[in-house]
Amino acid sequence: MLKAVMIFNNHGKPRLMQWYQQMDVSTQQEMLKEIFRLVHKRPDHVCNFLEGSTLLGGQDTKIIYRHYATLYFVFVVDSSESELGILDLIQVFVEALDRIFTNVCELDLIFRPDEVSQLLSEVISGGMVLETNINDIVTMSGVRKIQSAR
Amino acid sequence: MSMRGLTVFIADLRNCRARELEEKRVNKELANIRSKFKDPNLSGRQKKKYVCKLLYMYILGWDVDFGHMEAVNLLSSNKYSEKQIGYLAVTLMLTETNELLRLVVNSMRKDLDDPNEVHQCLALQAIANIGAREMAEALSNDVLRLLTTSHTRSFTKKKAALCLLRLYRRHPDLIPVKEWVGKLLGLMEESDMAAALASTSLILAIAQQYPDESAGCVQRAISRMHKIVIEKEYSPDYVYYKVPVPWLQVKLLRLLQYYPPPDDKTARNKLINVIQTILNNAQDIPKNVQHNNAQNAVLFEAINLAIHLDPESEIVVQASALLGRFISSKETNIRYLGLETMAHLAGFAESLDTVKKHQETIIQSLKDKDISVRRRALDLLYSMCDVTNARAIVSELLHYLTIADYAIREEMVLKIAILTEKFATDYSWYVDVILQLITIAGDSVSDEVWYRVVQIVTNNEDLQEYAVRTVLNALKSPTCHETTLKVGGYILGEFGHLIANSAGGTPMEQFMALHSKFGMCTGATRALLLSTYLKFTNVFPEIKDQVIRVFKQYRFVLDVELQQRACEYLAIATMPSDDLLQAACEEMPPFPERESALLNRLHKKIQDTEDKRTWQIGGKDANKEAMKKADRRRSAVERSQENIAATTSSQQPARSEMDELLGLATEPISQPSPEHNYNKLILEANGVLYEDQYIQIGIKSEYHNNLGRMAIFFGNKSTSTITNLNTNLQSGEGVKTTLIQPIASTVPPATQYNQMYNVECHDVVGHEVIMLVNYSIGSHPIELNIKMPIVPSKFVSAVELSSTDFFGRWKQIGGAPRESQYIGKLRSTDVSRMRDLIKGLNFSLLDGVDPNPNNLVGAGIFSSTNMGKVGCLMRLELNLDQQMYRFTLRTTNESVTEVLGLQFKEAVEGQ
Repeated sequence: MLKAVMIFNNHGKPRLMQWYQQMDVSTQQEMLKEIFRLVHKRPDHVCNFLEGSTLLGGQDTKIIYRHYATLYFVFVVDSSESELGILDLIQVFVEALDRIFTNVCELDLIFRPDEVSQLLSEVISGGMVLETNINDIVTMSGVRKIQSAR
Repeated sequence: MSMRGLTVFIADLRNCRARELEEKRVNKELANIRSKFKDPNLSGRQKKKYVCKLLYMYILGWDVDFGHMEAVNLLSSNKYSEKQIGYLAVTLMLTETNELLRLVVNSMRKDLDDPNEVHQCLALQAIANIGAREMAEALSNDVLRLLTTSHTRSFTKKKAALCLLRLYRRHPDLIPVKEWVGKLLGLMEESDMAAALASTSLILAIAQQYPDESAGCVQRAISRMHKIVIEKEYSPDYVYYKVPVPWLQVKLLRLLQYYPPPDDKTARNKLINVIQTILNNAQDIPKNVQHNNAQNAVLFEAINLAIHLDPESEIVVQASALLGRFISSKETNIRYLGLETMAHLAGFAESLDTVKKHQETIIQSLKDKDISVRRRALDLLYSMCDVTNARAIVSELLHYLTIADYAIREEMVLKIAILTEKFATDYSWYVDVILQLITIAGDSVSDEVWYRVVQIVTNNEDLQEYAVRTVLNALKSPTCHETTLKVGGYILGEFGHLIANSAGGTPMEQFMALHSKFGMCTGATRALLLSTYLKFTNVFPEIKDQVIRVFKQYRFVLDVELQQRACEYLAIATMPSDDLLQAACEEMPPFPERESALLNRLHKKIQDTEDKRTWQIGGKDANKEAMKKADRRRSAVERSQENIAATTSSQQPARSEMDELLGLATEPISQPSPEHNYNKLILEANGVLYEDQYIQIGIKSEYHNNLGRMAIFFGNKSTSTITNLNTNLQSGEGVKTTLIQPIASTVPPATQYNQMYNVECHDVVGHEVIMLVNYSIGSHPIELNIKMPIVPSKFVSAVELSSTDFFGRWKQIGGAPRESQYIGKLRSTDVSRMRDLIKGLNFSLLDGVDPNPNNLVGAGIFSSTNMGKVGCLMRLELNLDQQMYRFTLRTTNESVTEVLGLQFKEAVEGQ
């Protein structure tokens, strides 16, 4: 299952953090820093999987990430997930973001954090993959927009 | 739904160049929000805005400790946008222990019953994300209903499935999936892909715990895979870069790995056909990166399944050819996964030849520029090692160790040590490698490694002479690591005499080799060396004088441990007779054979409802062992659950099996100064009863007259799973306890489970009630005897009486034997504490009844099934100047007077 999803920028500033485990704020921040430290120094074109963070639970926890321009999308998973599957999932999430924000950029994530969280909750629920069909994901958040206009 | 205030605030924060400025802005906003929240007429829209701001600050890492109530209020709003923000805030900010959770649970129940499916979805997602115990208790049936009702739309269904999965993972004791799984299996056939994916995830978790009950999933998984891969029956929406639902395919392929290959021939052929097709599709490499990814995700899982079905099959031969191509792929991800999957293959194949063909490439991968790949290469080399290639692999690993990153050094050292021990054909090689290890990476050599060396040398006589010589040579080098010194100290002390007559190995040389390094090492090593010196005095009388000089010098050292050793050793060495010295320095007996502590360190334990690995890193032996363990664990868990369900009287859990399973010594570990709050809980209904470094036991209780209900919470504070938890609350004299809700036998780390008892007082409560708790942490069985705060006063309820009534009854009851009186010394003169004490013992505190305000007077009724109600009156006279008290209790029943009086006395004097 997924343990956490986070988006942060090239300077380690968080843009989205969703934890699927109970944790207090200070531990969350520590983990964010640790993951940023691990991921940031990796050049592009090395592999998208990483492990060995003791804070996160050692060997059985993997960090799977993608780096797009200024943003890192990081999914933390346990050993039961397919690495490539999660990598695809990140792509799905990003493509969905791209659809609702049309050409998503960091500013969209900054100013619409609630909508980003909402979108994520259509992709992942309680640490498990919920939906992978981009049309559906986007429609669901579309449904919601109609609802909120009411 | 734009919120201008929020946008402005975010923009403000972004303009803050320094953390201090940001803090200032945040504090200003917090103050503003705080004052707004005081307004009772705040509109829902406003509330939503402020909660949003709080959330934003929270995400940035500021601790927001208010506004929770407002967030909870938003849940009951009818406006979707407000409700949604409410749920978002509750999900992110409320912890599982928050008191507001009960309110949240109520709102959730309403939303689950709401005909509006969008509201249902919000609640389901929030439950899945929080997964609190209260929710599992109160809502799991509602979730199941939504999941299994036929008219639930699939977008709700998929959420319900994942919600149930989460609750089951967190609280397996509360969700009776064993009974439900029959209803759930059908969901795997949902035509909606996402609903099928979610349901498969749920079944996957259940199947690992209850494989027999869930066996129906195998057939369903095979036919679903067949539909997707062969019949191409899927919704076009779910084609991800030309690959149909890769996620569902991966899940199904993995699910099948938890079951033995199907016996049924048609099913088996169908499955092999599916795998073959996936393999064929992989022959051409797509240009598009995403397409390639998705295709490979399925492919790797299919290869894993093929290995699981039959590692010797034709398909696996094809797959290993593919893997060989993958591990030299240009794309790092593929190299990584290729190595990983090959390690899986090496763990199961009878012959390692297919893997060994690639040994060169794999060794090259140790030098890959990416640490992730290097790790995988290390794992693979470790798995594919056998007697034929051990030397080559170990020497490559040693070579690489000199340049390896610190992050993986310790693991490498451990693995090299294990391989060397396992595949050593001659002893000299073993000793050489280990010493080399220590020289190259001394700081990464954990204590287990050198303990093991000592064990092996002690147990193998043929090895000893060589070991002594080599160690002595290593010690003579000017730069030798402290660990070498430890090994050297031990081995020379025990076996130094074997080479005492040869050149270069004289007693004096041995002593000097050690003592020249003595000044540079830590206390623990010095202590070890002092023991070595004492052994020297026994076998080498010629250097006794030098040694005694050292002892004398260290008699005055500041370190207590060293000083004590020096004094004692000096005394032994200077005794007129050598008898004691000889007895003390008797050669060490061989160590009992046991599983290598190194392996134990390497293998981590697996949590119960988490997904388990389908294979282990390490060769065939490791995997066979792991499978055996899994089987035994399963049966052990089931058995102990049955035990609990069947009876609460004393029973031994499957403990011996557990011990054997973990292969370690079994003395119960001593309890490190546990906290026992019995006295406090006599006066209070809720609190922590017992706590040590592993477990916390808490109590919530409620009493009405002669009946009570007690929930006992077991929290796991350690980082490993508590297993074999078994409790036995014995009924005491006059009290009957009945288990109404049993507890699971395993508690994952940082998790709390509870059990529930009914307590009934049917007579005078006599001796203390004891709860026996047995559990294992790691391999250590622990047994606790805990005194439970079930005492006479728990069955007392307070009554208010006027002054005349009180004294009227007081006189009516009269003196002994229905009166008991105690006089004693007070430890505390704090009257308010005494007042609290009386209230805590469930008596009313009647002010103004006694003319002397320092005297405390109270009344209560003790209830029991057999005796009915017994009136109790008490008076506590305090003489604060002399710190004395006199306590008088009168009740309408002699035995009650006796036990309750005693309890009061203990409580008063305990203050």
